[in-house]
Amino acid sequence: MKKYFSDFKTAVKNGDWWTRLSLLVMGAGYFGRKQIVKGILMTAIEIGAVLFTVLFSLPYMEKLGTLGTVQREEILDPATLQKTVNDYDNSLLILLGGIIGILFLLAFVLLYISNLKAVYRLQQMKESGKHINTFREDCTQLVNGKFYVTLLTLPGLGVLLVNIIPIIFMVCIAFTNYDMDHQPPSFLFTWVELRNFKELFTSTATVTFGYVFIRILFWTLIWAGLATATTYFGGILLAKFINHKKTRGKKLWRTLFVVTIAIPQFVTLLLVGKMFSDYGIVNSICSRIGLTGFLKDIGLVSEGLSYIPFLSKPGWAHVMIVLINIWVGVPYQMLIATGILMNIPEDQLESAKIDGANEFQIFWKITMPYMLFVTGPSLITSFIGNINNFNVIYLLTSDYVTGNMKFANSNAKEVDLLVTWLFTLTNDYSNYKMASVIGICVFVICAAITLLSFSRMVAGNKEEEFQ
Amino acid sequence: MMKKQIKVIFRHIILAFLAAVWLIPILWLVVTSFSKYKGINTMSFFPEEWSFDNYAQLFFRPDTVANFPAWFKNSMLIGVFSCLISTSFVLMTAYAMSCMRFKARKPLMSFSVILGMFPGVLSMIAIYFVMKLLGLSNSITGLIIIYSAGSGLGYLICKGFFDTIPVSLRESARLEGASEFTIFTRIVIPLSRPIIVYTVINSFLAPWMDFVMAKLMIRSKDPVDWTVAMGLFNLVQRTLVGNYFTIFCAGGVMIAIPISVLFVLMQKFYVEGITGGAVKG
Repeated sequence: MKKYFSDFKTAVKNGDWWTRLSLLVMGAGYFGRKQIVKGILMTAIEIGAVLFTVLFSLPYMEKLGTLGTVQREEILDPATLQKTVNDYDNSLLILLGGIIGILFLLAFVLLYISNLKAVYRLQQMKESGKHINTFREDCTQLVNGKFYVTLLTLPGLGVLLVNIIPIIFMVCIAFTNYDMDHQPPSFLFTWVELRNFKELFTSTATVTFGYVFIRILFWTLIWAGLATATTYFGGILLAKFINHKKTRGKKLWRTLFVVTIAIPQFVTLLLVGKMFSDYGIVNSICSRIGLTGFLKDIGLVSEGLSYIPFLSKPGWAHVMIVLINIWVGVPYQMLIATGILMNIPEDQLESAKIDGANEFQIFWKITMPYMLFVTGPSLITSFIGNINNFNVIYLLTSDYVTGNMKFANSNAKEVDLLVTWLFTLTNDYSNYKMASVIGICVFVICAAITLLSFSRMVAGNKEEEFQ
Repeated sequence: MMKKQIKVIFRHIILAFLAAVWLIPILWLVVTSFSKYKGINTMSFFPEEWSFDNYAQLFFRPDTVANFPAWFKNSMLIGVFSCLISTSFVLMTAYAMSCMRFKARKPLMSFSVILGMFPGVLSMIAIYFVMKLLGLSNSITGLIIIYSAGSGLGYLICKGFFDTIPVSLRESARLEGASEFTIFTRIVIPLSRPIIVYTVINSFLAPWMDFVMAKLMIRSKDPVDWTVAMGLFNLVQRTLVGNYFTIFCAGGVMIAIPISVLFVLMQKFYVEGITGGAVKG
């Protein structure tokens, strides 16, 4: 970082006047070394950047400190009977435009500094009489030595558009009072510092976010652990079962299970949700065979109900969600496990057998360690995936109504995960500020888990070993 | 000997039982789609009266809430385009990260992992505002961009696969004077069929399965503008489910058939794709 700027300083200090002119006109240094096209391109970029900032983003960036001060007003003109709207501020647009403007300026400053250094390098090359690339040679570099620039430009812009800008935007929202009562364009919202974070951890009679947050966080972690473990082991066991030497028609069995992956999740989940609803088909079968009565007798179903509350009462719903998730997730894990099991070195299994190990021992001492070694990283990915598992919970519990006032006060349900709670807050109650705070918490949790267990993968030390 | 025989039979019985558990909801979906009664059949598993009317209505009598042909067309468009864009983005990013060495590589990789940890649900609303600013909300183009633009972040599995391609292959091509572009298109891509199939299937299916993002983006009340997922989801909302549940089932079957065929045919590649990439993390 330090070197980056000191290089810039030396470039300014030692540059000849072509190089220094590049401080003003970015293409100048290239014109001086007869790289006309590159010079024109650079100058055009500079002009474009200035125009963009002055015409588009500067008005937004100016108001970023207050997020706007003029509230929207409609005035009925008595003469023409038409409504006129004043020149109001839209906090949302100010924030969004401001973020885009700042990101753009940052990128431009980086380009500016790199440009000057490149121009200086060019000057040095000229002085020592080295070959200076023509424009055509620069272009061939883009499909050869600098091919990664070509490859990463478009995907990078895409990620900027749908990941980076939205994330920065929502993180900012966590520090504002953007909620139902402060919705642009009719109303303004403004910065409130850490007030929302304090609210998330307070529990009083009216504000129950603290209580609900702890409860939902707890359930989210339990859910993620259970969902990951059950589908993982279920998948391996099923794969072992199907791939056993004595099993006939392996392909047929596998196909039967794979069919369930092929039906879109939202269709199967909505369908299963309807099957297990309070007056659904499973309940009518259960009461016909007397299961409902039996469960009432042993106290698992409370007396006042005429059905089994599979997906409508806490406890029952928690268990059912995990079970249904096994149904959803096991075939997929089975496919993955099948692929990996086929790669287990056959000689290890053979020698274990010769040494007199039974099947159980082989499974725990050879198969499982191998599976864990291979799938360890993906296990953590799927744990994090389950923390963010929106579909299963949202689709199965759309009819769930909470009976706990504390949950209801915070627009949550006992079976909500942090992400479904977040979604309900934004979608149904427009409580963007609290949703953003929760989103940041989810991020912190996921990041902590990843960093604790997973840093090896990011470092990527071992990637060359397999090439 | 006898004991072994029993064990084998027992094994198959358990498998058959499990398969039944997994297939019952699917069976219910199929039989309900042939029911004459339009609501949810709560009393018996099989419908009392059978008919093909649901399918006829699905295809030939679109009304103000259900317009399957239009949904199918929209989803197909989105699926095809976002699949093309996503697949090329994933391959491009994976090649740059796996086969090339440059200063920003490791920082970029760490950065992408960090980005991936923000909950997607959080940024959905913000994406809507961004698209609105660009004037692309409420349109198919906007949805295609949303589904495919961020796909570069999902390069890890593909990179794992590229990492296993022997480096000597690329080296010798370079000695022969091949440019990186030639190596990418002529050597690496032809060797990566499993991972390409895997990426293509995944990115083609994503728009068919997602209804939350689509619901947020497409605010139009006219079913002609909806996608399959949105439309079907709408059919089981409380006010409509009594009259449209069997239509929902028929629609579910209709999108499940092509996808199942795709899956079963591509199963081998799919497995190779996941495992080949996942093994080396």
